[in-house]
Amino acid sequence: MNVEVAGVTRRFGRTKAVAGVDLAAGPGVLGLLGPNGAGKTSLLRMLATVIPPSSGTLRLLGRDPRGYAQRKQVRRRLGYLPQSLGYYPGFTVAEFVEYFALLKEMPPGRVPGAVAAAVERVDLGDKARARLRTLSGGMLRRAGIAQAIVNDPDLLLLDEPTAGLDPEQRVAFRTLLRDMGQRATVIVSTHLVEDVGAACSQVALMDAGRIVFHGTPDELTARAEGTDAAGDAPLERGYSAVLAAARHAATTGTPA
Amino acid sequence: MTTATAPVTAPRAWRVSSAAGPARLLRIELRRSPMLWLLPVLAVLFYVSTYRPAMDNPPFWNIRSGTIQSHTMLVFAPLLAGAGAWVGSRDGRRGLADLVGVTAVPRWAGQVASWAAAAIWAEALYLAGVAVVYGVTAHQGAWGGPLWWPVTVGAATVAASCAVGFAAGARLPGRFTAGLAALVVFLALAGGAFAIQDNATYAQIWPLNVQGPFPPDSYGIFYPYLPDLAIAQVMFLAGLAAVALGVLGLPAGAGGRWLRAAAAAVTVAGLAAAGTAVGLAGTARVEPHGIVIPALHDAASDRATPYTPACSHGAVPVCLQPAYRAYLPEVTAALGPLLGQLAGLPGAPARVTQVVVTTVTSARENGIGFGGPVISGRPPVLYLPLSGLTLPGEGNAPAAQFTANLTGQDGTAIVNDLVGLPSGAPAGTGVTGVNFELGPRHAAQFAIANALDRVLNLTGPWSVPSGAHPPGRSSGAGTGGNGAAASGSGALAGSGAGARSGAGAGGGAAPSAAQQQAAVDRFATLSAAARHAWLVIHLAALRAGRVTLSEIP
Repeated sequence: MNVEVAGVTRRFGRTKAVAGVDLAAGPGVLGLLGPNGAGKTSLLRMLATVIPPSSGTLRLLGRDPRGYAQRKQVRRRLGYLPQSLGYYPGFTVAEFVEYFALLKEMPPGRVPGAVAAAVERVDLGDKARARLRTLSGGMLRRAGIAQAIVNDPDLLLLDEPTAGLDPEQRVAFRTLLRDMGQRATVIVSTHLVEDVGAACSQVALMDAGRIVFHGTPDELTARAEGTDAAGDAPLERGYSAVLAAARHAATTGTPA
Repeated sequence: MTTATAPVTAPRAWRVSSAAGPARLLRIELRRSPMLWLLPVLAVLFYVSTYRPAMDNPPFWNIRSGTIQSHTMLVFAPLLAGAGAWVGSRDGRRGLADLVGVTAVPRWAGQVASWAAAAIWAEALYLAGVAVVYGVTAHQGAWGGPLWWPVTVGAATVAASCAVGFAAGARLPGRFTAGLAALVVFLALAGGAFAIQDNATYAQIWPLNVQGPFPPDSYGIFYPYLPDLAIAQVMFLAGLAAVALGVLGLPAGAGGRWLRAAAAAVTVAGLAAAGTAVGLAGTARVEPHGIVIPALHDAASDRATPYTPACSHGAVPVCLQPAYRAYLPEVTAALGPLLGQLAGLPGAPARVTQVVVTTVTSARENGIGFGGPVISGRPPVLYLPLSGLTLPGEGNAPAAQFTANLTGQDGTAIVNDLVGLPSGAPAGTGVTGVNFELGPRHAAQFAIANALDRVLNLTGPWSVPSGAHPPGRSSGAGTGGNGAAASGSGALAGSGAGARSGAGAGGGAAPSAAQQQAAVDRFATLSAAARHAWLVIHLAALRAGRVTLSEIP
């Protein structure tokens, strides 16, 4: 397993953003679904080693990221796209991606080819020399994805990666996800259940800091059977049904 | 987005370099550093604050280098601190802290690369400015060679300013951090100026302090430039930069244990260097040719710089230090009438030699006094300092002003010396603040001196005070031989040897003002030959105070 999470909790003051999450994920694409404030981003930031858990244990790519040396090894093989991606306006797309390739300690000789490949894979080849300040929001998002995949990561963490992408780009991005998932563990936090249905082999649904469902998209869809859960698509109805059941269980104290 | 998984070859137009990782990182930072935008501003400021003032001064290496150190850094340091803060706060302002914080390269290393890029550009511009000023100075035929210590202090100030600002920006990212950093550095420099004027010894470390209050010709021309203070300043600034950069590596997220230990070591070493430098500055002494720090001082620097003087070939040769060669015609012309009038008199100078001001007096406010011209030796030599005089071309001053100042200040002192009026001390020891008192026996000396001043047009008309005491030649030589303030910091309280104020309690009856004026008028209206003839006979008695007013023809 590339990701092993056991009893992980993360507090911010009195707020418990992540409350005892257990999760394991191997190669493939895992969609992380949930409403606003469910704890998806906090969980992803812990997996990205941005913040440490308040309690519980993490093992990423077979290593314990609490130690600096192991954390550094994880980071070399990690790709991460934060929810709100900042950028250096004066950098070109190629420089931005190259900059992060170098920060990820890629062998310098491999950097040029890797940058070229990453930029092409997000379809920004013709914008490679454009300054980031001149790009649209969707293009910036794609530049962010390019920096995340430039080191061909074994663990790719994407927080709302399709925000701002046009439909054509979203379709292409799902293909990219499936492709990356053949070898690496890809965890995608999203609100868009259609992305999950199209690209993910596994889905985890979070609510109130806990994972209330972990299975395949088909299994999530099946949860809607026999309920009057709202939603335009089967997966949406499954999502709504699971959330409703989890919240009912939380208020009544019964298992979901 | 494409679905291709095979490696893609980049179009040739944007293929990236395969240079080594850290070098490539620095290269990207160099190419995109915000400091690039500041360079034109800095270039203009360098021209206004340094180049023009430097060119308004004579082409002396010490003056030009001192201008670079003090003028440039006063303007550059706050701006560079602000720019450094802007660069340092980049990740925080741009919302990239998370992303750059989870890369394998320690955050500290990335930050040092960003700082280095900013500092390299600033240093490049600074050194380019230095090259222009020094190049022009060399082209103007300046004597000697360029001084590099002031330039080194300036370069260290550039690096330290960037580092301090960068650290502030990295630790407190925000849109106002840059402005605040610039303001704080400016206030620190201003505070240093006040501290050094208050003679706080430790404040000598102030980076804009070139050689304390010394006139430019007392270091780097007649004597070697003393690097003691500059060494302490470079130590201080390097320490400051090390502390600023080192503290960035101390937080847990900055890197691993070894890297943080290295950052701690850099911080401690920086603190030690800065503290030691301040401590060394506390031991500094103001000595005749610069600031001496005993622990850093090389005694070999105390030896005068050998030179072959540049001399005129008149009846009374005038010899100047070769750095002043360009001013030999003006000095010769200014002293010519006076020397011609005095030629042949017993004790009159047979030669004029420029000397350095060597007097160090008041410690308070770093004031130093300058000795005026002195005639001594056999055959008599007029030892003439030129410090404090506005040289021709300096600040657009015309040659006539230099001539007027030289005759007005030094000419009267020379006459005083010749007729035996107390005029200070022998050359080389310099006594300032001469407040001697005059008695009636000096009345004849005063009359002769005043008459000579009048006929030689050394000073404007003056009034002879009357009363119970002999008059003081109060105005003409009042400013003293070299009593003007020198460049650099600190106002100088000079009172030259020519100052003749007040009246003393001499013995005997004092002549009236009318008697004195009559004697002056009589002697001044004599023909030059008659005056000369009388002086040849009576000068010795006059100097001894044995001539009365009535004996003056």
